[in-house]
Amino acid sequence: MSIDEDTKRLQRYLSEAKFPFPVARIDATQAQQMMRFDNTPSTFYVDRSGIVRYQITGGEAHGDSPARVSWFIDQLKK
Amino acid sequence: MQRLSAIVTVLLTLAGTPAAQSPPREALVRGEKFWDQRLARSAVAALESAARDRVTAAEAHEALGRLYTFKGWQQENVFPGWHDEPSFRAKALSELRAAVAADPSRGSAKDALRTAETFDAAESVDPAPPRPEIRAFDAKIASAANVPDLLAAIEQRAAAQADPAPFFAGAQSLIDRGEYDRAIAMAERGGTASDRFIDENLSAYQLTGKSQGSYARGRATAADLVGWAKFQKKDYAGARDKLMEAAQLSQDQDFLNQFHLGELERAQNAPARARERYLTALSLAGGPPPLRQRATEALTGLESAAVAVGFDAWLETELTRRRDERKAEALNSLVDRPLPKLPLTTVDGRPYDAKSLQGKVLLLNFFASW
Repeated sequence: MSIDEDTKRLQRYLSEAKFPFPVARIDATQAQQMMRFDNTPSTFYVDRSGIVRYQITGGEAHGDSPARVSWFIDQLKK
Repeated sequence: MQRLSAIVTVLLTLAGTPAAQSPPREALVRGEKFWDQRLARSAVAALESAARDRVTAAEAHEALGRLYTFKGWQQENVFPGWHDEPSFRAKALSELRAAVAADPSRGSAKDALRTAETFDAAESVDPAPPRPEIRAFDAKIASAANVPDLLAAIEQRAAAQADPAPFFAGAQSLIDRGEYDRAIAMAERGGTASDRFIDENLSAYQLTGKSQGSYARGRATAADLVGWAKFQKKDYAGARDKLMEAAQLSQDQDFLNQFHLGELERAQNAPARARERYLTALSLAGGPPPLRQRATEALTGLESAAVAVGFDAWLETELTRRRDERKAEALNSLVDRPLPKLPLTTVDGRPYDAKSLQGKVLLLNFFASW
């Protein structure tokens, strides 16, 4: 979910980063209000029934290791 | 007769001083000086008032246009937490067009307008390069041979650009030279400068969390430097107050501050608390390698469970546990509530169909390319 205002910049970023997952856009203010975060990056893990189960703000807390990201996904797949 | 001519000379001299400038001209000069210092809000207020007077309109519109050009296209990461502000791009173009309209012979305004139009059409615009004069002042602070030179260099740098960096670098340098009281005063000025600098450029941060984070970082840096200077003065109670204030502001996530608290606890014969601080420091990213080395060495000297399993294994277990605890603390708020229906679009602006995601475990990462 990109909150970029500048679409040209986003397109360029995506063409460089080549993420292997879908990317959608959302207005920054709407996203912050609906998802209740106030910093980027913010990450949410949602279970199969559509309930938000984990929220992580910032990069330091978990973004520095694929193993930590996998841990959250594994919890919800159990 | 001699006295009369003296009076005439005084009057002529007064007429030639800047104090005799017209109010709009004075506002223009003030606005340009504010923007040189990157104090955007004050600069805009002064320049807008100068733009309303016919005599200074062209110059003021040009200065405003240059300011908005910078903010719209060129300020990405020029200071920590700053991002380009696309909403200023149209304003940049209209101010520069107003400057050219006010004085069609004004070459510098036409140049600035051409630059902004080029940026507007470009795929991407590089951030503004570092300013050579600011770099030169920073180098003078770093290489000052003695305290008077250092103090003069800090003042010069602070007058040229209003961010808190020269005060913080100066305070650290004063601590290194044993000038603890001066260091404390300098660090406090840095804290004040940091708040003002963020206030003046608030929209550059785009998210409230980012500006709040920047305020907290500036205040934490000031408090940590004051605390560290007090520690060097062996004012341990005063050091504890300020170092703990910094710890609270940085949410125990600043390497240097945790290291300083470790040194304080060790100096006060509290090995268990010292061990906790050194471990917290090492579990965080950042910190210069020599200080990380010193923290590790301090830990080997403190009694611990390390003996049984070997120091390296013990350290790794302790650091992992701390990182996991931080991860747990970061969990909050929308948790255990249904995911709201989000107004998503594709990257090129069409509605995004999220049906295929239903019934799946999702990882939603909100990010920005800036």
